[in-house]
Amino acid sequence: MLDLNTKKIKKNAYRVTKVRGETASRVRVPGGLLTAELLPLIQNIAETYGNGKIHLTTRQGFEIPGIKYTDIDAVNALLQPIIEKLNINQEIPGKGYTSAGTRNISACIGSNVCPFATYNTTNFAKKMEQEIFPNDLHFKVSFTGCANDCIKTRMHDFGIIGMTEPQYEKERCMGCQACVKACKKKSVDALSVENYRIVRNTEKCVGCGECVINCPTRAWTRSPETYYRLVIMGRTGKRNPRLAEDFLVWATEDAIIKIIKNTYGFVTNYIDREAPGGKEHIGYIIDRTGFSEFKKWALDGVELDSRTIVKGPIYWGGIHYD
Amino acid sequence: MALTELNTSKSENPYIPFLSEITDVIKHTKIEYTFRMTYHGDVKPGQFFEVSLPKFGEAPISVSGIGDGTVDLTIRKVGKVTDEIFENYVGDTLFLRGPYGNGFDIANYKDKEILLVAGGTGLSPVKGIVDYFSAHPDDCKGFTLLVGFKSPKDMLFKKDFEIWKKNINIIMTVDYPDEHYDGNCGLVTQYIPELMIKGLTDAVGIVVGPPIMMKCTISDLLAKGFKEENLWISQERKMCCGIGKCGHCKIDDTYICLDGPVFNYTKGKFLKD
Amino acid sequence: MGYQTTTAKMNAIFADLSKEYVIYAPKRYVGDGTFVHIDTIRYGEITDLSEIEFAEKSNYSFKEVLLPISETLFYFTENEMKEADAPKKGAIVFLRSCDLHGLKRMDAIYLENGAVDTYYKRLRDNTKFILMGCENSFENCFCVSMGTQQSDDYDAYLKVAGETVLVDSHWDVLDAALAGATQTPVIPDSVTANDTVVTIPETVPQTLFDSPFWEDYGNRCIACGRCNFVCPTCTCFTMQDIFYTDNGKAGERRRVWASCHVDGYTDMAGGHAFRNDKGQRMRFKVMHKVNDYKRRFGTHMCIGCGRCDDVCPEYISFANCINKLDALVNDTAKEEN
Repeated sequence: MLDLNTKKIKKNAYRVTKVRGETASRVRVPGGLLTAELLPLIQNIAETYGNGKIHLTTRQGFEIPGIKYTDIDAVNALLQPIIEKLNINQEIPGKGYTSAGTRNISACIGSNVCPFATYNTTNFAKKMEQEIFPNDLHFKVSFTGCANDCIKTRMHDFGIIGMTEPQYEKERCMGCQACVKACKKKSVDALSVENYRIVRNTEKCVGCGECVINCPTRAWTRSPETYYRLVIMGRTGKRNPRLAEDFLVWATEDAIIKIIKNTYGFVTNYIDREAPGGKEHIGYIIDRTGFSEFKKWALDGVELDSRTIVKGPIYWGGIHYD
Repeated sequence: MALTELNTSKSENPYIPFLSEITDVIKHTKIEYTFRMTYHGDVKPGQFFEVSLPKFGEAPISVSGIGDGTVDLTIRKVGKVTDEIFENYVGDTLFLRGPYGNGFDIANYKDKEILLVAGGTGLSPVKGIVDYFSAHPDDCKGFTLLVGFKSPKDMLFKKDFEIWKKNINIIMTVDYPDEHYDGNCGLVTQYIPELMIKGLTDAVGIVVGPPIMMKCTISDLLAKGFKEENLWISQERKMCCGIGKCGHCKIDDTYICLDGPVFNYTKGKFLKD
Repeated sequence: MGYQTTTAKMNAIFADLSKEYVIYAPKRYVGDGTFVHIDTIRYGEITDLSEIEFAEKSNYSFKEVLLPISETLFYFTENEMKEADAPKKGAIVFLRSCDLHGLKRMDAIYLENGAVDTYYKRLRDNTKFILMGCENSFENCFCVSMGTQQSDDYDAYLKVAGETVLVDSHWDVLDAALAGATQTPVIPDSVTANDTVVTIPETVPQTLFDSPFWEDYGNRCIACGRCNFVCPTCTCFTMQDIFYTDNGKAGERRRVWASCHVDGYTDMAGGHAFRNDKGQRMRFKVMHKVNDYKRRFGTHMCIGCGRCDDVCPEYISFANCINKLDALVNDTAKEEN
């Protein structure tokens, strides 16, 4: 006879599934990158306590279905080395994940592999995980290496898109225009030619780095600093799915971390206490409070780089079904 | 305009152009003018000058006539530099570098029967040869100029033809006649079979024009009995420095700007871009 | 004369020399590469031996010291031209044996082929060359195949081993500066073999110019020109006229590097281009590097540094192309016999 506290089970990162008596464990993999040695551990859980199957989640975690509720403690014990190896913050060792609301932080493969990446997405994702987990408020954060946005940050509450500020050394430029062609065909057409030299339209430039990638002589190089575009409050869902809008452009790592942490305070203050399951998407809260109130909370104590552009007021579009 | 000594004389530095005065402009067509420029120095037909308009760059232009203290440069309006020359030449000067290239050596053709086949602006680099033998008809055994233009509107050097026809045999043809035209029509190659060449083993053929025209003409001349070593061509290529440095005109181990643009066909036939 | 000295002493000598010379050497430019977190090793000014990257091959060659990527030739107003001033100081260039052979290729074009190039000569005449040894061959090097693994045509050879510096000087100024140092025979490090071995066909029949062999390269090459820009023997340039935007009547003419792989190289006014096909551009370059140049100047142009293979974003190997071409030439000759 099962007698469960489903709230506690869900907070422990187990799902209440449609199959009576069975749950599913969700394994966090911040940044979506793990060492192969962890796979046999996940395999073992699936084969010992689950139904032998593993689902790859859209958020780059693993979901192990077919686990009996009665085996949760045993599964938590097997999760412990995975949690430790992936350096996940944990309140009580041995008891599994101690919250689930703040979702696994996902990232494209970034500079580990991708030639377009402007930074190490995994490292930033792991750093963010350290800063905001465990936290049970419903936050979705993701990182993408460049403006191609392969991880689809624009469907997240917080999306971080890498940018580089192209540095032009005109004496190394012969005017081959490889950068101009690449920018025109693959990016935003922000480069033009004047007197055989390149002029970058700084208003248009999205910092994708195509000019740097295509320059054959190192006339274009990356800025030593990595910058980010912080896009906010994108979402899927029944009522008003929508893409995230730009909040900060040319922002720094520190500013982004602080803004996201500040948002937990904003949500705690303004969340609908009557919301089903105590969960409410941040975006709907901002829809209620207005953007300027969010902005006040988000930027509180944030030191912005002189290059950073703060957008606002922001109006989100999307599809309205309500 | 007073020209300083510095500007009009050649610099030690081969990249620095000198200033040359435009003494006359002869308009052939809407897009082809001959500029008569002051120049004191040795120059041969088929050589070229880098004509320069600071701010716009340089263009290689063949010498289309050699006078006493002047050279003629026939310029076709097809690029940034030449467009600008057409707009701004009036009563003015141009910067020149050169002459570059080997040019045609008149001595190679003296005392021979000469057939010169030219297409369009290809007449410019060989015009000096026609001028010479038109003025010295006794220096060769006979001179035929077979020349083709796209249409009557595109004809170059009309006044010169009036002079030439006194001493040399001219066959002119156009690809596209208009209603006022009553001369020959069609490609230059159509007129090769009927040419009466007396001593084919010794006769000289000079062919200059667009690549296809040159290819077909040479093929027909060889078929007619001309010897490879008696055929001469001039190769037009992208030229930039004119002095064997920039590389643009290079074909195999040949720098057109240094070793050409004039080649005997025994060498020229191996030039493959 | 060979010497043994210390890095401290040698740095002091270079500090003294830097009053008259800018010292150029391959340096590590952190994060300067095509992709993020990738370094570039290329030539830059140094003030201390520790800045020199001895352990790796430079991505770009020394050629930019003598043939700047962009070089002003003269300034003009409406009727006046003024030659651009030469740098006030001479140059000292650290380079490896292959590159020192590359210098001879540059000399052939700029000093011997046609008129002497004023700009090259004035830099060249005031440049001293210091050989860096190669204890090991790097990836893609084929200097041994090209016979460029050794050179004694240097002003000095210099090797740093910890705090010790070994110098072989052919330069009286350096001899004088090292007068107090221990004399010892110094022989430059050089390799005797490379992993990459290249066999060059002595002649390539023109009938092979249109061979399907080149089509493969036509499909693969993206005409970016990187192979040309990293090559120490590629010396082509194009001229550009600039007018100053604040004074439309004044400006400058400069020359910039050009590449036979990049679009526009053979374009004439009016638009006709002679080699549109990228495979034919590859053929042109390959024939120039190992065949055409030799017919004109007596040596192969390629010096086997392998930088073109290091850099090609499409993984086209020049070295392998030569070997495949050699096989093709041999097969074709057999078929004809």
